[in-house]
Amino acid sequence: MTEAVTLPAAGAYAGKLALITGARRGVGRIIAEHILKHGGRVAGFARGESSIAHPDYFHFQVDIGDPASVQQGFSALRKVTDAVHIVVNNAAVLTSQYAMIMPPSAAQAMLNTNLMGAFMVSREASKMMRKSKWGRIINIGSMAVSLEPIGDSMYAATKAGLASLANVMAKELAPFNVTCNTLGITAIHTDMLSQLPQDKIAQVIAGLPIPRFAEADDILNVVDFLASERSAYITAQTIYLGGVN
Amino acid sequence: MLNQDAVHAIILQALNNINDERGPDEQLVISLDTRLFGADAVLDSLSLVSVIVDVEAAISDASGREISLTDDRAMSQAVSPFTDVNALTAYILLLLSEAA
Repeated sequence: MTEAVTLPAAGAYAGKLALITGARRGVGRIIAEHILKHGGRVAGFARGESSIAHPDYFHFQVDIGDPASVQQGFSALRKVTDAVHIVVNNAAVLTSQYAMIMPPSAAQAMLNTNLMGAFMVSREASKMMRKSKWGRIINIGSMAVSLEPIGDSMYAATKAGLASLANVMAKELAPFNVTCNTLGITAIHTDMLSQLPQDKIAQVIAGLPIPRFAEADDILNVVDFLASERSAYITAQTIYLGGVN
Repeated sequence: MLNQDAVHAIILQALNNINDERGPDEQLVISLDTRLFGADAVLDSLSLVSVIVDVEAAISDASGREISLTDDRAMSQAVSPFTDVNALTAYILLLLSEAA
């Protein structure tokens, strides 16, 4: 009974097209499949080939960290649709290492994908949202911004930048009824997380006010909230999961 | 390649798009001399951004070439491309001639 109340209505995303970066796996794929399940169409940007088979899913091989690739992706996307209603800037790369020995190329890759990529996707998508006078841009942030764990200097900085990006764009795009928000997620079982030392993750989890991993529905709950019609007055906000603040 | 009349039409259409979003008492007076930027400009900053986005997209659609109207070169022109419709047209034609 509780579940029936919290789940989005059937067809909650009907008539909406969501562009999700990093849609092949992890959080991006979870969100993509959720929106498809609830009646929306999804365009996925990712470097690799599609991992989602659905008639309303459109996959584009795009390197989010390359501005030219993003623009080519949008050129291809505009042949499929003239409207993007929801953007989920999810694609991210993570190298966790002491700054003194972090390879500059790894730091640059995080900057390119996590921040510049989100900027380029938001930039191009907002041009399309401007015409339809409706849009929701949701950036997938991280608890690392608040917790500032050792090894995550550049990763946390890019995710902090992501929230600032949303907050400024929220002002610029408000006249077009486009909201921009950030969802700061906690650890969830994904390929990215598996790259990190498990003892370090356990320590972080133990320090959370709600000391457990995030579940898919924890994330989807906030995505549904931010993407909804009723959230037109919610913008330039960062919502953390698990009690992080 | 697009000619002057075609570029004029694209810019004027972008300005008409702005008028479509304005009330009857807020309509821009649109002509080839319409000031886009500067002290006598008729556009606020967000409207100018909208015009730029529409013009860049329409030029791309019509010519098959991507142009940027807001890069360093545009901003460092002796005469701003955004002085008026004629100046913007001349700058776009310059970019298209080089791209060809």
